[in-house]
Amino acid sequence: MQIHELVGTVHEAAWLPWAVQYFFLIGISATAVFLTFPAFVLGRRAQLPIARLALLTAVTTGIAGPVALLADLHQPARFWEFFVYTNATSWMAWGAWIVMSYVILLLLYAWAVHRPAFYRWGKDNWRFAWLFRLLSLRGEANGFARSFGIGAGVAALGILLYTGMEVAVVHSRPLWNTPLLPLQFAATGAVGALGVMLVLGRFFDTGPTIEAWMNRLLAAGLAVVAALGALWFLVAFSGLSASHTEALASVAGFPVWQNIALWAAAAIVIPFLIAILAPARSGWVTGLIAIHAAWMFRWTVFMGGQAVPKVGSGLYDALMPTGLEGMMGVIGTFGLWIFLLIVYTTFVPWDEADLPGDPASIPTSAPSSRTVQG
Amino acid sequence: MSTRRNVLKGAVATGALGAFAVGYSETVKKVLRGKWSGEQPRKNVTGNAPDPEYRVTADGQIELNPEQAVSYAMCIGCTSMCGVRVRVDKANNKVLRVSGNPYSPLSTNEFLPYETPVRESLAVLGQSGKGDGMLHRSTACGRGNAVLEQLDNPRRVLKPLKRVGPRGSGQWETISFEQLVEEVVEGGDLFGEGKVAGLREIRDLETPIKADAPEFGPRANGVVMLSSVNDGRDNMNLRWLKKAYGSTNYARHGSYCGGSYRSGSGAMFGNVKKMPHAKPDFEEAEFIIFIGTAPGNAGNPFKRIGALVAEARSSGKLDYVVIDPVLNNAQNGPSGDRSRWLPIIPGTDGALAMGMMRWMFENDRLNKTYLAQPSKAAATAAGEASWTNATHLVIVDENHPRMGKLLRGSDVGMKLAEGAKPYDDSDPYMVASDKGPVPVGDGPAPLFFNALVNGKDGPIAVKTGLTLLREEAERLSYEEYAAACGIPVETITGLAKEFTSHGRKAAVNTHGGMMSGSGFYNAFALMMLNTLIGNLNWKGGTIMLGGWYPDTNGPAYDLAKVVGGVKPKGLPLGRNVPYEKTSEFKAKQAAGKPFPAEGPWYPNAPGLATEWFSSMINGYPYNIEALILRNANPIYGIAGIEHLVPKLKDPSVVPLIISIDPFINESTALADYIVPDTVMYESWGFAKPWNGVPTKITTARWPVVEPKVAKTKDGVPIDVDMFLIATAKRMGLPGFGDAAIPDKDGIMHPLNRPEDFYLRGAVNVATVGGSAVPDASDDDLKVSGVERIRDLLQGTLKPDEWRKAATIFAKGGRYENKDLSYKGEKSAHPYGKPMQVYNEGVGSARSALTGRRSPGVPTWREAEFADGSKVADIYPLSEWPVKVISFKSPLHNSYSVGAKSLLRITASNTVNMARELAEQHGIQNGDQVVLTSPGGSVQGVAVVRDGVAKNTVAIEHGFGHRAFGASDITIDGVTLAGDPRLATGMLQNDLGLVDPTRSKPGVWVDPISGAAVRQALPAKIEKIA
Amino acid sequence: MDSSRRQFLGSIGQVTIGAAASIAGANSADAASGSATDATNATGPHWGMVIDLRKCIGCQACTVACIMENDVPEDALRTNVSVYEVVKEGRDPAMVMLPRLCNHCDEPPCIPVCPVGATYKKEGTGEVLVDASVCVGCAYCVQACPYDARFINHETQTADKCTFCVHRTEAGLLPACVETCVGGARIFGDLNDPESTVSRLLAENDVSVLRPEMHTAPNVYYIQLDEALDGRVAGEAAYRPMVTDAPESHGESV
Ligand SMILES: Nc1nc2c(c(=O)[nH]1)N[C@H]1C(S)=C(S)[C@@H](COP(=O)(O)OP(=O)(O)OC[C@H]3O[C@@H](n4cnc5c(=O)[nH]c(N)nc54)[C@H](O)[C@@H]3O)O[C@H]1N2
Ligand SMILES: Nc1nc2c(c(=O)[nH]1)N[C@H]1C(S)=C(S)[C@@H](COP(=O)(O)OP(=O)(O)OC[C@H]3O[C@@H](n4cnc5c(=O)[nH]c(N)nc54)[C@H](O)[C@@H]3O)O[C@H]1N2
Ligand code: SF4
Ligand code: SF4
Ligand code: SF4
Ligand code: SF4
Ligand code: SF4
Ligand SMILES: [Mo]
Repeated sequence: MQIHELVGTVHEAAWLPWAVQYFFLIGISATAVFLTFPAFVLGRRAQLPIARLALLTAVTTGIAGPVALLADLHQPARFWEFFVYTNATSWMAWGAWIVMSYVILLLLYAWAVHRPAFYRWGKDNWRFAWLFRLLSLRGEANGFARSFGIGAGVAALGILLYTGMEVAVVHSRPLWNTPLLPLQFAATGAVGALGVMLVLGRFFDTGPTIEAWMNRLLAAGLAVVAALGALWFLVAFSGLSASHTEALASVAGFPVWQNIALWAAAAIVIPFLIAILAPARSGWVTGLIAIHAAWMFRWTVFMGGQAVPKVGSGLYDALMPTGLEGMMGVIGTFGLWIFLLIVYTTFVPWDEADLPGDPASIPTSAPSSRTVQG
Repeated sequence: MSTRRNVLKGAVATGALGAFAVGYSETVKKVLRGKWSGEQPRKNVTGNAPDPEYRVTADGQIELNPEQAVSYAMCIGCTSMCGVRVRVDKANNKVLRVSGNPYSPLSTNEFLPYETPVRESLAVLGQSGKGDGMLHRSTACGRGNAVLEQLDNPRRVLKPLKRVGPRGSGQWETISFEQLVEEVVEGGDLFGEGKVAGLREIRDLETPIKADAPEFGPRANGVVMLSSVNDGRDNMNLRWLKKAYGSTNYARHGSYCGGSYRSGSGAMFGNVKKMPHAKPDFEEAEFIIFIGTAPGNAGNPFKRIGALVAEARSSGKLDYVVIDPVLNNAQNGPSGDRSRWLPIIPGTDGALAMGMMRWMFENDRLNKTYLAQPSKAAATAAGEASWTNATHLVIVDENHPRMGKLLRGSDVGMKLAEGAKPYDDSDPYMVASDKGPVPVGDGPAPLFFNALVNGKDGPIAVKTGLTLLREEAERLSYEEYAAACGIPVETITGLAKEFTSHGRKAAVNTHGGMMSGSGFYNAFALMMLNTLIGNLNWKGGTIMLGGWYPDTNGPAYDLAKVVGGVKPKGLPLGRNVPYEKTSEFKAKQAAGKPFPAEGPWYPNAPGLATEWFSSMINGYPYNIEALILRNANPIYGIAGIEHLVPKLKDPSVVPLIISIDPFINESTALADYIVPDTVMYESWGFAKPWNGVPTKITTARWPVVEPKVAKTKDGVPIDVDMFLIATAKRMGLPGFGDAAIPDKDGIMHPLNRPEDFYLRGAVNVATVGGSAVPDASDDDLKVSGVERIRDLLQGTLKPDEWRKAATIFAKGGRYENKDLSYKGEKSAHPYGKPMQVYNEGVGSARSALTGRRSPGVPTWREAEFADGSKVADIYPLSEWPVKVISFKSPLHNSYSVGAKSLLRITASNTVNMARELAEQHGIQNGDQVVLTSPGGSVQGVAVVRDGVAKNTVAIEHGFGHRAFGASDITIDGVTLAGDPRLATGMLQNDLGLVDPTRSKPGVWVDPISGAAVRQALPAKIEKIA
Repeated sequence: MDSSRRQFLGSIGQVTIGAAASIAGANSADAASGSATDATNATGPHWGMVIDLRKCIGCQACTVACIMENDVPEDALRTNVSVYEVVKEGRDPAMVMLPRLCNHCDEPPCIPVCPVGATYKKEGTGEVLVDASVCVGCAYCVQACPYDARFINHETQTADKCTFCVHRTEAGLLPACVETCVGGARIFGDLNDPESTVSRLLAENDVSVLRPEMHTAPNVYYIQLDEALDGRVAGEAAYRPMVTDAPESHGESV
């Protein structure tokens, strides 16, 4: 049977690039949190440099992400309603609480980790010392950082669960309605997090050892992403999972999707190889490709998924970037994030963070690395 | 950490923050707007939907919404002119929505008995009405729902405009109504280009328009008016132009609408000037062949036909075939075999029809009883509902002076009655008998006859019409017919068999598809199929319009009469008369060589607006001085006319062009003056449908909203009527002014404003036909919104009249009840003249260019140019392998791009092409292609379809506008930029041809009907790399 | 009630219809104010639509009437009629005109996803509605609807969709698209009333729904709907011209 639509409509995407940004940033944040654990929760000193980068990453993305989410609401000033009306059947309703808890716990965690340094900065004699005295709440103990960390970790799991499920439960979109999607979000989130950390590591000169470490982690992450991807195709082709089969069928015929698949494969294989072959020198490249892979995955899932008509024919053009206007959301979010990164690395003694609750680690004469001058 | 680095950091931070601020500015704005980041709708759940126009309470009573009015008026979203119900926001003078008038058969299948009170007409539409409110459901179509937007079209002309700069340059200035009237009447150096004669000067009823040719009448014939369709205001136009001004040149758009169909039908109905036509009885027919017409896709009346066909194919008894080069909404897949599509090679319908006829003759599947009745008396005696001239004898003797005419009593030396002249009505037509030719009598006559009979001056070869038809049908073999139309022999014969298997409950219907170079004969042949089964005036067969209640001459007022008026004289501009009547013929005949004439003549055609343009630019047969366009857009609608436009832009060719139009369309754009006009719900008028309604019907239109146009000094809205009244009064023409309209007692009434005319027209409608409508009650006035014009009614009409007129407006017209459609098995309003199996006008006329005669019976004839050359010889298939056709948009019409909601659904048109053809040219769906004909080329996007006949390309009509908002308009120095959305797509007419065989340029027209040719244009197609 | 009116109502189910109208009247205030907790009345009408594809002529009167009635913004439609050319094996090409609108599902996936309960099913009559004063515009429901029946209204910045013209049905009138349906393809009424036109059509015909695999329990039924068209339609998409520079835009930068 051949069908040719002669009159049809276009259904525009209702989740805009803001949503891509949110899922991108929050995915990075919620996975980066776990990379802080070896040092800040489990107390492994060797992991300290990585944990510092991870915390920096988790906090900045963890703030920028929800801001993007707010912008994706068409009625942003009504966000409070999420906390007044609830609807237990909606993953998004749960998500609101989870995001809120996560951000609070993440900030508490970061605060706790940085408290000793705040305290030190507060004791220096300089213009903003008062601020840091305030920030430190006039104390330097931070043994509770572990608990906040674990709390944030639990909330992060909640994030990974709800963001994955919120999308995966949408039956109407075959491309979303796949059980593997939450795992794919988590794995690509971790890849993105490591990508960001690699780039930041390069930027702050954390050295080749750490870079190599992170590259190996990245390779592992990419391997997981690849494995999930392969599994996706396997269950889709074999018909083992009807929803995956339908997802594949919904896009398989379109050349643009065939190209996307190739592109995605390249975005996994290339950084993987580089990370394995040159782990200590390739942070810029692997990092950027990894960030791109994590972002692309989400763009494809969200915008591409919405380009697939539910009842009409062909594809809508949501997959294509929506012009400068549409891209402003993307750029604006990145602007916010970079701004947060600069603020964080400038005003927060992020690289003085040490194993929590370990008085031994507190240097007697604090090496103040403040970059803000009095 | 270095300061440099800090500065850099600071810069990056600032940049990042800037990007954030820009990216989130909208979000911030939204947040700042508070609870409603968008616009707060009127209601939280139902948004901006206005409150319902009325409610039906629990006990079935109506509660009106005092803020809105619901009035019955007329839609002119297309030429169907349906009766509709208009919902008006009174405070804002805004039309909110339009749906159907349940009294009107044009909008309602089960239309209400006319006596139903207005209040109840609303009640039946509620859920409590019959069929849960759906039995009397009354509709407006997609266009009808949208065209209210035309009232608020931002480019509407609201004040009189005068061109500044050259004609067609798009530069205008606004002028007052009074200046407009003065300038067009008095003339002068109006544009700084030299003197232009005004209407007053041109109205010379004595001086011949052409010095050496008095047959063309006086100079006044040089003012010509093209008013595309009778939208209910034609009587005023005609009163002005013909009876008061004295010009004979008035035409409508017929010759570029469906002229060939109408002429073909007119030939069979025996009136090629008025061109009667019938429609299938959709509700009762069992089998219909729609060929070259697309019920539900277009068609007139669009909605009624669409609704009836939809009903008939699902719940009714109808099976039908749509024979069309392109598959469209007329066919319906879910109806399965009840609705089928059959592709045909464009322009070849005559071959199919003649093939079917051949089978009918060979297999004795004619309705012989019907065809054998030679007269009304015979038909009545035989229980027939009409009769034909199938048995009448035709002179077929080349040497006989009356070759091609029907044999009359006087031809065989019969003695005529006292005072009778040969060939007048009392000179009888002759039929065959054992004893030779005898006058038609009240019994049947032989169907076939071919012999010499004794004439008064010797033997005459005669045949019956039906014999001639059989000969034509048998001229070609089935295989030849099949090859010509691309339909297999078995399908042709199968169609003939099916068509003749339902008694009289079968019909053939056609229209726009006949606008090809073989259009006249194709249509004549198709219509003849109906006559061969004798279906006219029968339930389930073909039926005529039931008639109407005229507004012009009823028992109350004589609006058609102009006391002291003129009777226009002279041959028409469109050359739709015998060439033999001209001085040119006489001179050439005297010189021994009467043929060819300088241009074609169309003795068997009605007024031909298409040919006017050739006449105008060539001054043949004569020059004109002023063209008045009203409600018309020939420059968009006529295939190939673009080639004549440069001449029209030259003011020395036609010195004055006045366009009366609410919009600047492609034709208006060439005008010197634009007179604004009221649109649909703002204007007055009485219309009858084109056809397809078996009962009597007059649809009334009245201003249900206050017109948006500017007003005259005296406060009257400026429109066509006011313009005509004002110019007439300024020239002192008869029939206008204080004593203009006689009533039944001969008392004269004024005609100073449109209401003077139309309100009296309403009284006529209300009282004509031997019965009067009931008085409108106060409640009727209130419920229908006619309250709005109550003072006007009371102030203008007599005390015993105004409530009757009010009823006409309250119910949106006057409608005969549905149960009066039939009398038994026959139509209640039958056509009462004989069907012409042989049309002697056609059969005896000679082409002015070749001097040759054409058959008087249907035939299959390949497309020709004016000099008789075959189109395929001049533009051979080898070079022009594609045939291009045009089809109506189911959604749009020629000017609906102005209703922007429609563009949300269909925003452009495409090059619909057959799959095979696309493959041959390596064209894929979505490719840009260029289509070139000998007349021009268009470019568009290919849509490759299985539903297009091979080697055919089909283009939807209604797009490719150059004016109407598509290009810039400058008024008083302010430029309104063209809107690219209004310019999308292609205009198929740009492929139209100028006839290469005409010495004086003119577009290609059908040689008999003179109608524009837009179907089966030769072309080639290429993919744009 | 005057006599002609009584006669007119004559044989049809006066009782049911009278009841329907009064219930509708009672509810109207709530709906207008957008209360998510409208009064319940289980015995009231349950609205449904039957779309007889044999009768649709693709005239789009419904599409435009809906725009006019509901002031649907420029870039969206609450209902539309897709037109397909279908070539089945061994059959001639044929046209199918397919009207679509919100199905007012009895198991509507759009409702459970709404984080704030702004979208709800009206008790009794069964319309699925959105209270724009509560909607946060998250568009989750737009994603969840399997029929692309919802959209974000760029004027109000809230979710929007067909309301079954609840403001009209409450006034005892028919939905705009039904009133003006030229082919008579859209038939509306009370599914609870076995005597209603819709109930009778359901009883007399084989009917189907769009995307039955979604188990949404639609209240819009189709007569003669081909399976190939009941979900996403595999085939060439309609040509959609890119017209740039449209003067109107909806002041929204995302
Ligand atoms: N929707 C809509 N309805 C309308 C109008 C409108 O603009 N839009 N306009 C109104 C007017 S003014 C008119 S005159 C009527 C016209 O109503 P119709 O005559 O029914 O419509 P057309 O589209 O002009 O032509 C009918 C069909 O002829 C086909 N055709 C073309 N060439 C050939 C041929 O050589 N042979 C055969 N067999 N078919 C051929 C076309 O594909 C088309 O489908 O519609 C009226 N109703
Ligand atoms: N290629 C191609 N060409 C065609 C056709 C086709 O199908 N294909 N169809 C043909 C047919 S069937 C027809 S009937 C003709 C139609 O051609 P025309 O009869 O010339 O009419 P329209 O193009 O409909 O334009 C009428 C004009 O009237 C104006 N108008 C609208 N309302 C009013 C009003 O209330 N008062 C006044 N004064 N003016 C008003 C508008 O500006 C509009 O442009 O076109 C024919 N041309
Ligand atoms: S068919 Fe449609 S557009 Fe034409 S007059 Fe009737 S309602 Fe208006
Ligand atoms: S069709 Fe969509 S919007 Fe309508 S009720 Fe069903 S799921 Fe909800
Ligand atoms: S867009 Fe509005 S109605 Fe839809 S889910 Fe979000 S809050 Fe609910
Ligand atoms: S019921 Fe009302 S809102 Fe729904 S599609 Fe019809 S007209 Fe639009
Ligand atoms: S109004 Fe009726 S016939 Fe016309 S497209 Fe809509 S459903 Fe079909
Ligand atoms: Mo026409």
